[in-house]
Order: sequence, then C-alpha cells, then structure tokens
Amino acid sequence: MADKDNKTLDINILGQPDLGGGDKVDAIKIVTIFGAGTMGQGISQLVASKGMEVLIIERDKQQAKHGYAQLEKNIDEEIARWTMTESEKRAILSRIKVSTNTEDAVHGDLVIEAISEKLEAKQELLARIDTICEPDTIFITNTSALSITEIASATRRQDKVIGMHFLNPVPKIPLVEIVRGLKTSDATYRFIKEFAETLDKTAVEVFEYPGYITTRVIVPMINEAIHILMEGVATAEHIDIAMKLGYNFPKGPLALADQIGLDELMAWMENLFRELGEAKYRPCPLLRKMVRAGHLGRKTGKGFFEYK
Amino acid sequence: MVILVINAGSSSVKYQVINPEKEAVLATGLVERIGMSGAILTHRPTGRKEVRLSGEILDHKIAIEYVLSILLSKNHGVIKDKKEIDAVGHRVVHGGEAFSSSVLISEEVMAQIRACIDYAPLHNPPNLRGINAAKQLLPDVPQVAVFDTAFHQTMPKYAFLYGLPYVLYKRHGIRRYGFHGSSHRYVASRAARLIGKPLDELKLITCHLGNGSSAAAIKYGKSVDTSMGFTPLEGLLMGTRCGDMDPAVILQIMAKEEMTPNDATTMLNKHSGLMGISGLSSDMREIEEEYDTNDRARVAHDIFTYRLRKYIGAYAAAMGGVDVVVFTGGIGENSMLVRKNALKGLEFLGIELNEEKNKAQANGDRQINTSSSRVKVLVIPTNEELVIAQDTMHIVQEMKANQ
Repeated sequence: MADKDNKTLDINILGQPDLGGGDKVDAIKIVTIFGAGTMGQGISQLVASKGMEVLIIERDKQQAKHGYAQLEKNIDEEIARWTMTESEKRAILSRIKVSTNTEDAVHGDLVIEAISEKLEAKQELLARIDTICEPDTIFITNTSALSITEIASATRRQDKVIGMHFLNPVPKIPLVEIVRGLKTSDATYRFIKEFAETLDKTAVEVFEYPGYITTRVIVPMINEAIHILMEGVATAEHIDIAMKLGYNFPKGPLALADQIGLDELMAWMENLFRELGEAKYRPCPLLRKMVRAGHLGRKTGKGFFEYK
Repeated sequence: MVILVINAGSSSVKYQVINPEKEAVLATGLVERIGMSGAILTHRPTGRKEVRLSGEILDHKIAIEYVLSILLSKNHGVIKDKKEIDAVGHRVVHGGEAFSSSVLISEEVMAQIRACIDYAPLHNPPNLRGINAAKQLLPDVPQVAVFDTAFHQTMPKYAFLYGLPYVLYKRHGIRRYGFHGSSHRYVASRAARLIGKPLDELKLITCHLGNGSSAAAIKYGKSVDTSMGFTPLEGLLMGTRCGDMDPAVILQIMAKEEMTPNDATTMLNKHSGLMGISGLSSDMREIEEEYDTNDRARVAHDIFTYRLRKYIGAYAAAMGGVDVVVFTGGIGENSMLVRKNALKGLEFLGIELNEEKNKAQANGDRQINTSSSRVKVLVIPTNEELVIAQDTMHIVQEMKANQ
C-alpha cells in the first residue's frame, strides 16, 4: 500500500498554483475521481463546489488535459448564462488537481470511479486500487446499468463498494440514485447517503437490479417514441410536443434521447435486454440505424433533431 | 466594559473588541477562508502593527479559538485574561417577526433563530455556528444577538405587506422585513445628536449605500418603511443585485432562458445591478471613472441615483415631510457624485446641497447642506459594531441589575 498523506497533495502535472493546507467537509477532505470524461468532469465540479478537494486520475495525459479544459469551459458557459460567478469558478478550479498515476488514489478519503461503462474495465480498476487504498476507504462506482455486485466482486471490500448513479449534467440534476450491491453494508449506505446530502443531491435508495429506477423507466418510453416515429405515426416535433404539453415533461423523449446520446442510449437498452431478456427493452431498428450512421444526437450535431 | 463583537459569515468571522462606554475599539480583525485551504487571520490591534496568521482553520469554533488566543497573546493581544470579556455580541441577519430588539441568547432564542433559516438560508446558519462556537469557548459569558431586521419591526402593516394573498403571509411569513437595521439605527441617532435635536422629533431618511443598499424612513425614532423586503434583493439598485422590478419579468426570463429557480436567484443577486447594466464592474468607483466616457457605466450610475431620488421623495411623502437626509455606507460616505445626483431637483422638498461641502474630501461625520436648506443633509460613517456592542452592554447591565 502506498503512503497516504492528506496534508500535502504534491501532484501537479498541470502546473497549477499550490493548494496550501488541507480542506474538509466533515471527515471527507479529498475525493479521488477516476476518469476525466463527461461524468468525471461533472462529478469533479460538483464535489469541488462543495468545498472538498478533488484529485482526478486519468491515465492518458492528453485526455486529462482535455477533461480539465472541458470542465473549465462548462463553468464558463454557466457564467455566460448568469448561473455561476467568476469567484465560484476560481474557488472550484483551485480545488481540482489532476494526476495520471493510479497510485495517487491513496490520497482520497473516498474514491469515485467514473471511467467507461465497461464491466471488465471497472473490475480491473477496482481490483487495482483495492491494493492501493486504505482498507476502510469506500469505493463509489458511477454506473447507469452495470451490476454493483459484479463490480465489487473484484475487490476484497465488497461491503464498501456502492453505486452512485449521477445523471448528466451532474452539477444541475438534483437527483442521485444510490445503488446497493448484494454485499454493500448498511454503514456504507448511510455514509454515502450523508455524502449525497453534503453534495445537495436528493438521494433515492435502490437495491441492485438492472437499470435501477431512472434508466429502466425512461428507456422503454424513449424506445416507444422512436417506434412511433419509425412507423410514421407522427413527426419527431409532434411526438415531443405531445409529451411536453400532454404530460408536463420539460423535454420531449426524442430531444432527451439526443441529449443522452443515441449510442449511449442503445448501450443501456442492450444491457437491459441482455440482463432481463424482455422484448420491451429491445432497441428500435431506427435507433440502430441512426447510431450506425453516426447521428448520435447533440454531440454530433444531428440526432432526431439538428443542433448548430 | 469589554465586548467582543462577532459577525460570522459562511466562511469568515469578523470581530471587534470594543469598550462601548468609551466608544473605544481595542482591536478589529477577520478570519477568512474557514474550512478551505489557506485560511488567514488578520488581526489589527488599535495603534499597533497588523498581524497575519495562516493555518488550517476547519470551522467557526477553531476560528474563534484562534481569535481568542490572539486577543490574549503577549505580543499582539489586547486583554490578559478571557475573563476580561464581559459579553459577546453577535450580528444575526434574520430575526423574522420574533425579534424587534436585541436579546440575550437562550436556548429558546437559538430555536427561533433556527426557525428563521428559511428566510436567510445563507446567513442565519453561519450566524448560529458563530454563536455555538462562542458559547462553547466562553461558557460563562453572556451572549447577545443583534438582528439586522429588528429595527424595521416597527413598520406598519400597510408598509410591510405585499399585495399577495394574505394567507401566504400567515403560512410562509412572506412580507417585507428590511435589513441593515443596525446601520440605519446608528446613523439616525447619530444624526439627531449632531444637529442637536431629539430623535423622536425628527423625520429622517437614511441611505445606507454599499455593496448592498437600502433606504429607510425613520419617523420620530421608529423605522416606518425601508427599501429592502423579504430578502435584500428589493429596492435600490445595488452592486450585483437588481432591486425593484416587475415580478413578471423573472417568470418571463426563466421561461425564455430555461432557468431553474436557483439559476434565476444567482442571476438576480450576482449578475445584475451596476455590474449587469454596465458590464464593467459592481464597484461604484470604477463606474464613476468611466461615467463620462462609457454610456453603459453612465446609465448604470443614473439608474442608481434616480431610484434613490424616487425613494427619498416617496419617504418624504410617507412621513409627511423630511428634516434630515443621511448618507452612509461605502458609496454614501465616499461618492460625491451619487449624493449630488440623487438630490438633484429636490429643492422643492427643501433639500439644498452645498456643492463645495459635498465635494470636500473628508472623513468622519459632516453636514453638506447649504445654510438656507430647510432639510439637513449629513454624511455619517456607519458603525454597526458599536451598535452591537452598546446593545450587548445594555442587556448585560440590565441582566445584572435584575439579579
């Protein structure tokens, strides 16, 4: 096991100004976050905005730099829409450091993994940090569909592995699903529930089952909307208008699909279909076709709608 | 008597050690960045060199522990023993309708301050943390709470109610409360003393103009109206707050810009006012530097003074006349242009500004009206800490007399 030192974080590959002394929100001072992708960025911003220090670990240095730059850009966009201030930005960025060294996970009082949504990758990472971090450190895995029990089985601390399913964009969505694996202890659950409260998120407790609450409910609905479109029953605009006005959804199902990313959505569905084997989770052929064409939604500029 | 005055914010603690009988300040200071990296304590003992300490200050209790130890320190201290502190006076932002004056802090008082958290979610919790910390560290010393809202509790119902369904007032306490109470109260009584008339014979309009700004109508010693309302967002234009506007505007903006209530709160409080209009700065000094050259800086300044002028007119009408106008706060004390423009055209009310006196660079209390002006115009540096110390002293004296 590497040496743990909360007082000095001398990891500074981006050459940022020194952090100075330690920090705290109750007992949690430093949170290690694996992955500098969209979820990693969002979780890092959220945690840092609540006064804790964040250490992002991303193997690839280019990716790390890109992730940090994107995080900064996300905050700038919020400032431009008057929802955050320059001083909040400075405070948040001053608390975030980036490393490429997995060993640095030891500095965290908590570890959150937000790497790619692949079981093997997550298992491999957790098995690795299981030998690096102190035995009582809780591991949080951020997944929207994978089995916590299966991920946890790669470690010798299955009682201290728990899922936190944040939704994108993390800083803005007030919900987090706390997902208990088969062996997750009550103590771990209570601790993480409190952690969620310090992050100002409303937590719902979920006992592990594919898709939890949010994914399992939203997926068939979006899929049905895509079927309606494919069958020529209504246009994409009218499908969204109907659901928005008829049932008071802030966003229509197809616009929501574009926001999630159609490839992501299809991965969720395939996972649910595989796990549960029910036809209602089978991805609509139109969705497959669009993913193959590279029309993935907002991020590519074209999905069910066009984005400039 | 020695009073420790504490103003605890979310990540800071300001303090002063005051002898209220002599109106003497023994030391002032500030702990910043509590619970963050690189916390700093700045201590200024009167007449001696400033001291800065940095270290890990995790919470308000540790901050106040640091403050006490520096107050007692051999080299920088101002007292020799903790026992020299006769009482602690705490600034508390929101007292709701429960408090119309300062009070000795009891468990019941704590519970009532907690009950007001909904009204001041950013301010009352750190105020409570400051009180808890001081109680733990100075368990035998009386603690007094002085509320920002208390002075305005004398407003009549027709001044404090909004034109909303009455049940909302009863159910959620939706009404105007007003803030800066200690400041308005201090400058009002100071003004009465300066012009040598009893406060209870005067109609005053006090203008506290700083980062947050408010005006108050003080008739015969009582606040009868003030420009801030349920929160400090209402009323005058401020550094980054919008002040008065049509409430429908915000609903429209939320719909058009897809904002959540939280987003909108940030926009109204932190991106509006002088900053939002000028796009330049929330600092009046920077706005004034570009007053002649930058249209948006000028219009921001003009909105600020125009709105203040309207409030002065309104309050003169509300009180059936005005005898004294007082300027205080960073802008009120220092900006001759704000004072001049705000009072422009108010000669019909008997307000005549002496341009020379208004322009003169000066500190301290001063009178800036012409000799023929029926209304006195005063500039009085505010001193909220002294008000807190004096209130604390009076309450402790009363408590001792009753024992």
